Amino acid sequence: MEEIVCDGIFKDYGGKTSIRALDQIDLKVSNGEFFGLLGPNGAGKTTLVRILATLLKASGGCAWVGGYDVNKDEKKVREIIGYAGQDSERSAYFRLSIRENLFYFAHALRDVPKEIAKERIEYIASAIGFENKLDRHFISLSGGEKQVVIVMRAILHNPEVCFLDEPSKSLDPITARRVRCFLKDYAKDNNITICLTTHNMLEVEEVCDRIAFINRGRVIFVGTPLEFKRQAVMREIIEISTNRLGNDLSLKLLKVHGILNVTCQNNTTKLYCEDAFNALPEVVNVMREAGLKVPVRIAEPSLEDAFAFFVNGGKRDEGH
Amino acid sequence: MKGINSLKIFYMAVWRNFLTLTRYKVNFLFSIVTSALWGVGMLLFSLAFDSLMLERTVGTTNYVAFIIFGISFQCWQGTALWGASSMLQGELGSGQIDYTFTCPFSRYQYIVSNVAALAVQDSLFFLPMFCIGLWLANTTLTIQGFLLGLASTFLSVAALVQLGVIFAALTLRYRQINAIFSFFNFIIQMLSGMFIPMQILPIPLQIIGFSIPVTFGMDLLRHYIMGTFTILSPIYEWVVLIAQLALLSMIAKFTVSYLEDKAKEEGLHYI
Repeated sequence: MEEIVCDGIFKDYGGKTSIRALDQIDLKVSNGEFFGLLGPNGAGKTTLVRILATLLKASGGCAWVGGYDVNKDEKKVREIIGYAGQDSERSAYFRLSIRENLFYFAHALRDVPKEIAKERIEYIASAIGFENKLDRHFISLSGGEKQVVIVMRAILHNPEVCFLDEPSKSLDPITARRVRCFLKDYAKDNNITICLTTHNMLEVEEVCDRIAFINRGRVIFVGTPLEFKRQAVMREIIEISTNRLGNDLSLKLLKVHGILNVTCQNNTTKLYCEDAFNALPEVVNVMREAGLKVPVRIAEPSLEDAFAFFVNGGKRDEGH
Repeated sequence: MKGINSLKIFYMAVWRNFLTLTRYKVNFLFSIVTSALWGVGMLLFSLAFDSLMLERTVGTTNYVAFIIFGISFQCWQGTALWGASSMLQGELGSGQIDYTFTCPFSRYQYIVSNVAALAVQDSLFFLPMFCIGLWLANTTLTIQGFLLGLASTFLSVAALVQLGVIFAALTLRYRQINAIFSFFNFIIQMLSGMFIPMQILPIPLQIIGFSIPVTFGMDLLRHYIMGTFTILSPIYEWVVLIAQLALLSMIAKFTVSYLEDKAKEEGLHYI
């Protein structure tokens, strides 16, 4: 069964000088799926999530969450969703403890019975490693810790569909990993459909069953993270662990049979080629002759490569 | 999921407010002391006030009690009018409104429940001053009068809350409404008989004053507790109060729903 359906959604902001934030969005997310929304800043991910979470009105098109129309059955949609907005780490009561905050939101605003709310707070806190922080005032938490509380709040009432807008933005890598592992398991155990926006490619690879890539308000890819990488980077890559090859050596490598392009990114040099396995021995020879002994390997295209590919409108980011 | 009722939001908001209050202990203490201080401080005004004029117009020479009830009323008036929009401004600023507005209850219900919880909280600060007023009016005070006075106050504050809900809805649309609020606040304070008896105001100003929900609520409170004359017959004043409450409730519900819709077109988070 499809939990989220978008049919031709578009959204314009402003009056005379209106900006089209979303343009003909068609999307389907299945029940229990962990779905990622990817795209560069300003692509329209948050706008789409806000429309689905009944916070924003689409200018046209239709959308359904859990079978309910987000425009006509707002209240029904709100009964089955959870939501953690972007930059919402200040959005709780500063002088209440984490426990009191979560209890208030779950019991008063989400109608979770008292005892169940208390049990779930304990359970989720211990799964995330927050059991010793529950009685700390919200104001005394770090930005990342506050963000974790906001994520906990979003799932505390076991929603059918949960929208998380960049939930790991201010989290350190260890906490981020713990939170996403917990979310993945919790969503699976409780059959929660999760719709997540993120720029964290590791997060996408680890938790997302499928993703949609949005650029300039349009969905330009829908599929699994693996399909995303494959569709974007159809060439193979040889990776050399240095970015100090110099022009001469770069030119020599370009002359190796099968090498199509050479790029430098961070501390690595990437050689794009048709057949990495065949080109590798000759590349190693060129390096040896140049007296450069650094690790050389065949690399898998990364999600970042694919991301850059789609942001550039399908043109490969191979030059520099 | 069964529907979330206003009563639950109300008592949980009272719980939340009191927890927060007790965590600012010094501030809490000073608020109580200041309230009592205002009550006693009003004695100074009586030195310079024409008590004969007061007796002529409202039938009492007890200016101190007269003005104490006016100021006590102002405590609730501030909460009723301003509480909802300052709560929504806070939620808009912190981003909490995104969460609360994805919860399954009516916005009107949420705003009214939270303002009612604020009114309960503010009653604590209003109590010391109110008690001093009662003590100064002890010669005219009866149990029945006290209860009727409270009932009229309740109706009047409930009508004010509806006005506050309208301001809150304006916050959703226009974000900054301090100037609009100050404008109405001035009119309410000056033309409702809070500090100056209505009877000495020029007729056009009296007509404006009659449309303010505070006017008859406070007039009835003073009448039942201090034995003052009423502006109109008490029964008319009750009828007007109830009508004001009904009318403002309808306008408030409509305004919230209309302006929320408008705000949703732009996105509530643009502040």
